[in-house]
Amino acid sequence: MSMNSENTASLLSRLHTGLVQTENWILVFILFSMILIAVVQIFLRNFFGFGVIWAETLVRVLVLWTALIGAMVATRQAKHINIDLIARYASDKVKSVTGALANLFTAIVCAIVAYYSAYFVALEYEDGSPAFANVPNWLCESIIPFAFFIMSARYLIAFLTNLVQLSRKTA
Amino acid sequence: MALIAVILLVVFLLLGAPIFAAILAATMLGFFYADIDLSAIAVELYRVIDTPLLASLPFFTFAGYILSESQTSQRLMRLSQAIFGWAPNGLAIVVLITCAIFTAFTGASGVTILALGALLYPALTQTGYQQKFSLGLVTTSGSLGLLLPPSIPLILYGIIMQQMHIGGEFDFEQIFLAGLLPGLFMIFVLTLWAFWANRHHRIPTHTFSSKEVLSALRESIWEIPLPIFVFAGIFGGILAVSEVAAVTALYVLIVEVFIYKEIKFRDLPKVVTESMSMVGGIILILGTSMAFTNYLIDAEVPGALFEWVKAHVDDKLTFLLLLNVFLLILGAVLDIFSALVIVVPLILPIAVGYGIHPLHLGVIFLANMQIGYFTPPVGMNLFIASYRFEKSIIELYQACIPFMFVLMAAVLIITYWPQLTLVLIQ
Repeated sequence: MSMNSENTASLLSRLHTGLVQTENWILVFILFSMILIAVVQIFLRNFFGFGVIWAETLVRVLVLWTALIGAMVATRQAKHINIDLIARYASDKVKSVTGALANLFTAIVCAIVAYYSAYFVALEYEDGSPAFANVPNWLCESIIPFAFFIMSARYLIAFLTNLVQLSRKTA
Repeated sequence: MALIAVILLVVFLLLGAPIFAAILAATMLGFFYADIDLSAIAVELYRVIDTPLLASLPFFTFAGYILSESQTSQRLMRLSQAIFGWAPNGLAIVVLITCAIFTAFTGASGVTILALGALLYPALTQTGYQQKFSLGLVTTSGSLGLLLPPSIPLILYGIIMQQMHIGGEFDFEQIFLAGLLPGLFMIFVLTLWAFWANRHHRIPTHTFSSKEVLSALRESIWEIPLPIFVFAGIFGGILAVSEVAAVTALYVLIVEVFIYKEIKFRDLPKVVTESMSMVGGIILILGTSMAFTNYLIDAEVPGALFEWVKAHVDDKLTFLLLLNVFLLILGAVLDIFSALVIVVPLILPIAVGYGIHPLHLGVIFLANMQIGYFTPPVGMNLFIASYRFEKSIIELYQACIPFMFVLMAAVLIITYWPQLTLVLIQ
């Protein structure tokens, strides 16, 4: 391995760590904002007799964002709920074959959802109707294609990793 | 063609593909055959934000994760030990009550066994309880409390019920009211069983010490208001459930990070990502299965299913019995969240057709799922307990089977005595 490719590899791995940490901190930021908005809203309503009308909608949109970013993290950590009957009883080799198939299947499904939801968001962009305050609907919805695109990419990487492991085992 | 598609889906599910992907694939196939544009999937997913209870899921889950990461379980055990430990079989009662409270807050994710079981199991055997009884008690208690507020599965059931517009207008505190008596009843039945199972053993009790009670109270002074606030908040009618959840999350965060200082500030991202990846997984299968359910309703599947069941099952009592058997098996194979979002939309219309109250069905559903957690051979908590207590899975089967029968009897009573569930609502 040349010096150059080593540098590239360490740069890539640093970039990856950085992105993963950004993902984590975004999640922290959104969750804490949600909690604060909801609590402040209660105080405003009960002690000052008014509230921000769109605060509740904002919190719900943020829940969707938290959920989808959380789902991206769950993909990264391979923690999505599944039926693990085979994983519990099969041999390692069978497991990497079934794992590869399952990962490829999920990557394809997520890619299709990403494509069609991007199309939907594009339609909403042209329409331009607001979700609350001055925030347009398409912006709130844009997390759907984004999250499914990332999940698709992550499942594809998991699938490729399975293939590499398999070829090493058979070699 | 449709049949091949369904078989393919089941195969991928068995291969270990995530449940959300299988549901999405099924929905898209359905849309494809019905000539519906696939971008409708995004519309359906976005509809999840129309759920008023939705925000309570991340808030309560986060609070639960914070509690299980700090030393709340130790304090909870010490306090209940001080209050109940002097009574005959006091420690068994302590186990039941602490586990029920802890599970209600943290969900039956196995964390009760990992966090509390590790303290309670050695305490039980050292006090003189038989090993088999102790093992069974701790494992069974790992899913006790699913029916008590603010249990996440209970909230999820309410969300699904509301999405389906079945049961008319209802207040969300009604879901918690419905679960309250059946949940307490299960604790009561297990207490009776603890007395019966140990009738030939004399188990030493320690004397009541008001000094220890005071000291334990002082130690957990910041956490005692928590269940009281959740109860008063949910049933008081001033705050919405999701608002109670937000205040709970903020309070728990402040208490554990700044007062007890058991969670360091720099550890927060880890707790947040762990809890939110779980919430993300749940909301994802909730959103996708809502899309799937809408497709099924359009294709008139629940109606056809009801006609089919009606042709084979004559009366309500037989239906309920078959339902119990079905749910027990379901609970042992499928995790509680997938089971809720996939199966409730199918059986809720049927149950209502037989004259069963939607909230009663919810309680029956969760009560069965609770048993499913430790039903051999694949109940999840059996594996967690086997790993935690370093006992073979066969030992756990043997230890849990008596408890399983006791709780099955309790579930039958809950099933055939609807007033127990409904009396607080009416």
